[in-house]
Amino acid sequence: MRFTDYFALALRSLRRSRLRSGLTISAIVVGATGLTIMLTFVTSVKNYVVNQFVQTGQIRQIQVAQTANLTYSANGNAGGFNPGGTGPQLTPALELKIGALPHVTRVAATLQTGQQVVQYLAFGGHQLVLNGLSAYEADGVIEPTLVAGRDLGPRDTTNVVLLSQDYADALGFKGSYAKLVGQTVVLHTTQGYTGVGATLPNVLPPQNQCGNGGGGGGGGGFSKVCGPTSGLPAANLAAVVVGVVNGSYQGQQTVYVPLPWAIGILNQAQPQNVHYQFGGGCGPGTPGFGQPGQGQPGQGQPGPGQPSGGGGCGPVGGPQILGPSAGPGQVLGGWRTDTPGQYLSNQGNYQSFLVSVDNTNNIARVANAITHFGVSAATGLDALNKQKQGANIVALVLGALGLVALGIAALGVMNTMVMSVLERTREIGVMRALGARGSTIRRLFTFEAAALGFFGGLFGVLIGYGIVLVAKPIIAKTVNTGSGLPNFSVPLWLVILVIGGTTLIGIVSGLIPARRAARLDPVEALRYE
Amino acid sequence: MQIELTGVTKIYELGGETFYALRDVNFSVDRGEFVAIMGPSGSGKSTLANIIGGLDRPDQGTVVVDGEHLAKMGDAELSRFRNKKIGFIFQAFNLKGDATALENVMLPLVFARMRPAERKARATECLGVVGLSDRLGHLPSQLSGGQRQRVAIARALATRPSIVIADEPTGNLDSARGEESITMLETLNAEGITVIVITHDPNVGRHARRTFEVHDGQLNEKPAA
Repeated sequence: MRFTDYFALALRSLRRSRLRSGLTISAIVVGATGLTIMLTFVTSVKNYVVNQFVQTGQIRQIQVAQTANLTYSANGNAGGFNPGGTGPQLTPALELKIGALPHVTRVAATLQTGQQVVQYLAFGGHQLVLNGLSAYEADGVIEPTLVAGRDLGPRDTTNVVLLSQDYADALGFKGSYAKLVGQTVVLHTTQGYTGVGATLPNVLPPQNQCGNGGGGGGGGGFSKVCGPTSGLPAANLAAVVVGVVNGSYQGQQTVYVPLPWAIGILNQAQPQNVHYQFGGGCGPGTPGFGQPGQGQPGQGQPGPGQPSGGGGCGPVGGPQILGPSAGPGQVLGGWRTDTPGQYLSNQGNYQSFLVSVDNTNNIARVANAITHFGVSAATGLDALNKQKQGANIVALVLGALGLVALGIAALGVMNTMVMSVLERTREIGVMRALGARGSTIRRLFTFEAAALGFFGGLFGVLIGYGIVLVAKPIIAKTVNTGSGLPNFSVPLWLVILVIGGTTLIGIVSGLIPARRAARLDPVEALRYE
Repeated sequence: MQIELTGVTKIYELGGETFYALRDVNFSVDRGEFVAIMGPSGSGKSTLANIIGGLDRPDQGTVVVDGEHLAKMGDAELSRFRNKKIGFIFQAFNLKGDATALENVMLPLVFARMRPAERKARATECLGVVGLSDRLGHLPSQLSGGQRQRVAIARALATRPSIVIADEPTGNLDSARGEESITMLETLNAEGITVIVITHDPNVGRHARRTFEVHDGQLNEKPAA
């Protein structure tokens, strides 16, 4: 018998018992639809993640961090941004060493300021809370994906920011991100972090952490020596928005600033040798006023005391608030203005390095070389593989559910075929008398079972495709916050897999009934009533 | 001899008892003969027809048709033999209910792997022979009993077999339609086709050149009247 004849006869038989065929196919459709939808969503998300890794270059990147140590040390664990770290700190020197490794194309350092540095971002009546600043070396390694504007570049040193999409949305620029580019926002620092570019106060801010200074003599001026203080003023730092970062980029809601600026702002937390003195207006002071401060006496140079007339410098004995009314104050020692290198060697270390490697094949080798410096190296490939592994597990679980549904459908196919063989016993006998071989009968029934599976799979994929199409805008509306979404589409391999799989299930389910049909004794079959 | 059965025995086990459907049957038919096999129900005449037609195998004895030993054939060979050499006509017509007259007649040609255009032409021709050229697209349910039997005859002729075996061909027909069917078989026989009719109807038997009777599995030729 010809292939086309098998197909035609099988279809005719299925049409003959439409209801039963329809119900059997429906059971397969349920499983196939479920499988199509579930695997489409999982693979789309997986592809999205992979694309993100590729697009952002993360796939060729290695994240270097200090090795962690959770053991507390009474003497203080190694400082910097990774207090628990015990391994070598992430210093500019180490950055140079890593940069010199073979296959390393570039290295970028990152810093994350704490929440205490900048309080809020202000623009046009909005005040948005900030969870610190994300600073990075803008040398091309770290390239946030943008929805508008441009990345930070090497020429950007201060007073420019990239806002993540969520901030742009909150500022009222949802959907018109380009309009935000070029606008000036204000970063309002916490007291003590005035930042590069801020106008330094020439009047002393309220301070309350001064050490035990010399007692102010009546009518005489006094000078105080203070250590690091939180009494410094907050400042409004103007920043031009140069770009808006895609919300899905590293999933962060943050403000990105150039590394030098972040260091500049952090530097201000360490006013250098702050000497200030009061002008007039203070009455005779009380010797030993104030609580012993946290600052070390003598940390700075005693500033030249300037006589000031008058007394009555406010409350005595407690934290003293000095304001303009108390007379003008001056910062005499100036602010620390360390270079990033100085700052880092004095204050701490980078939070991380992002190392760009020339080729994905060399990632493992470079990562291994980096760990020899005593720091940890996590590759983007590892992270991606972990994510893919997670997606695969989800796919497996969902796929297994779909297979259970298909397994039940397979029983339905088997039942239908057994019934069909029974009903058509006499017809089988006639076909045998007309010259059909046993193998012809077997193939005929196998084709029928395969057709049930095929159409079940086909309709399942079509319905699944329709559901994905319908769900796409709904998901975009409900889930999307303006950031990117996976491109949900039924991949061709899934179409082939589902239809091929259900056809195979049909064939396997039909094997036993088809074999029974083929083995029927023609004479017995002809006698069957 | 076109058909030669020697010492054919067919045994059935029914409820633990051995039942001889055929017992040491010797039977031969020449090419172009019209033979009637008669006997009461259960006498074994259908078993004999099935063995000649290659649908059934004897437990003992040999069956040679057109020089081919049926006992030595496998399923594929035997199927091909039935398809090419034998045309079966059944009492209940046994047409596919969901297929048109044309499609029913084409069925043995489908098994013969004939090309679609060719098989359609052949089936149309066969339906023309039985006078049903105007009923090609009719389903069996749209045909009368006599017409159905004629479709069955056309189907039996489709592969141009050398032997036609008709098992009670008039059993489901009134006498006029029955007579019509027998006349048709006679026409075929006149064209050189060997016809073996299984029947318990003496009127049918009268059309045959030779008549055999089966009783309790034993075959005896009835002397010519």
